[in-house]
Amino acid sequence: MHQTVQASVPEVFARRVEPARGLAEEAETVARACHAMATRFHGGGRLIVFGNGEAATDAQHIAVEFVHPVIVGKRALPSFSLTGDVATITGIAATSGFDGVFAHQLRHLAVSDDMALGVSPYGECVNVLRALETAKQLGLLTLALVGGDGGQIARSPSVDHVMIARSADPRVVKEVHVTTYHILWELVHVFFEQPGVLDPRVVA
Amino acid sequence: MSAPEEPMESLYPFLYSGGTDLDAVLTAVRQSTVDKANEIVALRQSVLERDGDRMAACAQAMAAAFDGGARLFTFGNGGSSTDAQDVAALFLNPGGAARPLPAFALTADVAVVTALSNDIGFEVVFSRQLAASGRSGDIAFGLSTSGNSRNLIAGFQEADRRGMITVGLAGYDGGQMAELGTIDHLFVVPSSSVHRIQEAQTTVYHALWELAQDALRRRGAVPPPRSS
Repeated sequence: MHQTVQASVPEVFARRVEPARGLAEEAETVARACHAMATRFHGGGRLIVFGNGEAATDAQHIAVEFVHPVIVGKRALPSFSLTGDVATITGIAATSGFDGVFAHQLRHLAVSDDMALGVSPYGECVNVLRALETAKQLGLLTLALVGGDGGQIARSPSVDHVMIARSADPRVVKEVHVTTYHILWELVHVFFEQPGVLDPRVVA
Repeated sequence: MSAPEEPMESLYPFLYSGGTDLDAVLTAVRQSTVDKANEIVALRQSVLERDGDRMAACAQAMAAAFDGGARLFTFGNGGSSTDAQDVAALFLNPGGAARPLPAFALTADVAVVTALSNDIGFEVVFSRQLAASGRSGDIAFGLSTSGNSRNLIAGFQEADRRGMITVGLAGYDGGQMAELGTIDHLFVVPSSSVHRIQEAQTTVYHALWELAQDALRRRGAVPPPRSS
């Protein structure tokens, strides 16, 4: 019995290898997303992040990454998660349903200079999609971290930058997302330290 | 496996050459993504080689504890607090055919966190909660990148005093969490990059969850042994 469980540890790890390497294929998308984000931050925009369940914890991780960088000397950038305020989330959900929780918050908290980043393991979370659609209407830059085949969110015309983790296992997707958002943070700062490329009129 | 943090100048030399060529920047950041994908693959492999057997043993111990009525308490600071909440959410609401298990993140209740921090100090924010709610046989699961967070050390000491099973995830050389010598199952990710450490730790706790679920299914399928 013990041996059977032991034998599966290498298998569990092996399942991570191809999806992790697959991130390299998203390098162009990641680079474009970082340039767009850095341009928005340069113009005073804030990064607003949201997701459900385990992805709610990613939303908070992303916000703390930008607000309080782990590398000393990197400046704090404005970001917040829509998942941290339990009173607001349960309040909206109780009166008008869960599908509109993030869209409602964005409608009243966001301004057009901001960025909306939704995290959804299968790309099918309705409240994340609605929030991205609302954000697009408000003029925000819209980004999504999704998995599987990207789902409805990847196909939505409301999303400017979609990064897809190539796995159907939501836990493997999450692991690729963690690497992706760490890279997003680092590369935003690379652009940010090069203000010459942050003029909205500069296009590669 | 991963190199120590390098200064930005050596990673992105073009930034300091005075040019503002967007194509050059985009080319460099694309390569950076490829490099980091390779780094995390290599780091996970080294974690597997170091700790694969110990992960299996930890998952067995957690499964046995859950079968005995244990509850899981998770804790960490900053990004690691989001991992702690992820662990609790995964065990409590895994979805599909997996068995929901009792799990609490000690960072989730802002009233408790701010009360303890304001009245006593942030270093007791986890230990006081474990003293109030932890029972012998419960599981204390703490995550840190440095291994040196004072409130985690205090939490592990309290968990040890109460006879809880302790599981720790750290980075670098394990820091004070390794020096404690009392953490039953300590997994140190051998890297000096906070980011890569967190990425490998996510895999470690996902693997522990999957293996514990597997062990619970097996325990349910056959009569439990007379002794552990």
